[in-house]
Amino acid sequence: MVIAARGLTHAYGDRRAVAGVDLNVAPGERIAIVGPNGAGKSTLLRMLATLLRPESGSLTILGAEMPGGVRTARLGIGYLAHDPLVYLDLTARQNLELYASLYGVPDAARRIDGLLERVGLLARTEDPVRVFSRGMAQRLALGRMLLHRPRLLLLDEPHASLDAAGTALLDAELHAACDDGRAVVVVTHDVERAAAFADRLIVLRAGRVVLDTPMAGMSAIGARTRYEEATG
Amino acid sequence: MSEGALNPRWPRQMGALIRKDLRLELRTRETVVAMVLFAIVTLTVFQFGFGTRDGDLTRFVGGLMWVTLAFTAVLGVGRSYVAEREQRVLDGLLVSPVPRLVLLGAKAVAIVIYMAAVEVVVIPLVGIFFVKGPYWDAIGWIALVALLADICIALSGTLFAGLALFTRARDLILPVLFLPALVPVVIAGAGATHAVAGGAHDLSEYRGYCLFLVGYAILFTLVSVATYDAVFDD
Repeated sequence: MVIAARGLTHAYGDRRAVAGVDLNVAPGERIAIVGPNGAGKSTLLRMLATLLRPESGSLTILGAEMPGGVRTARLGIGYLAHDPLVYLDLTARQNLELYASLYGVPDAARRIDGLLERVGLLARTEDPVRVFSRGMAQRLALGRMLLHRPRLLLLDEPHASLDAAGTALLDAELHAACDDGRAVVVVTHDVERAAAFADRLIVLRAGRVVLDTPMAGMSAIGARTRYEEATG
Repeated sequence: MSEGALNPRWPRQMGALIRKDLRLELRTRETVVAMVLFAIVTLTVFQFGFGTRDGDLTRFVGGLMWVTLAFTAVLGVGRSYVAEREQRVLDGLLVSPVPRLVLLGAKAVAIVIYMAAVEVVVIPLVGIFFVKGPYWDAIGWIALVALLADICIALSGTLFAGLALFTRARDLILPVLFLPALVPVVIAGAGATHAVAGGAHDLSEYRGYCLFLVGYAILFTLVSVATYDAVFDD
């Protein structure tokens, strides 16, 4: 299992954001986690990304049990958040060089060139990110996430701010990653997009999993119907 | 989350983080320039405040220098995580396999470099503004104690800046936490400076203050090692 979570909980003050989530993710799976605002999607994703400590429950990521194996797990996690997580005053290349050093990426220069070409930024490698559009910064973030060839990709609303070409690029990269045996977990509020992308749909409501279903043969309309039934 | 021991990649990771901070500073010139200007203005205010046109303030030279440097350090340390906070990059660093202790250490080295850049201006200015005595002969000794004090400032400052980073009133909390922690550094820095430039050239007193600074640095290194996990956790 890439992720094995049992009874995960997390609260912000008195409000319980995640209230006992069980989740298994196998290699090559494409999972979409959907739910209304405040359902606990992003909190759950941050726990899976090792950015938030679960208050209770057990969590094993890429075979490393948390919290002891956290650094081993981090080596294999790629995380794409709302923000691109890059320095605006560094160039695209400098940002990727920084992350390559942090992850110990071998043959980093060639890997960076290859990624910048794949995300369509090869002509802008020496420009500071500050002059990038939001979509370009998100493309760079995609490159940052893929840089160290993670085995688990965690994405929070990744399609936001991407244009049609950027969306197609992201979808192609995620499909290629899954074909390569890597697991992808996407948090989104867009059920139709989730239906188009995922092979498993998980619906969260009030911090609990209220639906966990394979997407095989399910249309976008079918997914929407199941979602609305689950969330009331 | 608890991380355990350092991995063998940490020197390379720390080097990359320090390079990143220096690159950002060279590009934006926001922190060091502000620190230098602040220090010059503070020294100028002191000069007018003492109101001695031709008086010799040699015996106050340690205090004048180190109070200025302490307030300048608060300014610099307060800006040490600005890029990560304002550009929302911190999660990118925290999700990477970099030990939290390396994140703190890299920031500390950057602060030492910023403080050293400020002192290149401040130490000669103090001599020009306030001293008629044998200040220039002692400038090497002053630079040495300044380096030691910078390490102390960076170790405690990085820790407090990290603690304040996740609080809402961070701009208020950091000086409240950090300034009291700087008092021993100011005492030792001023004492050592006075010992070599305040009249008598007393190297044994100077050595005592330097040893005190070494002890302070060791203490804050131990505190950092013991608490680094909690600083960035959640």
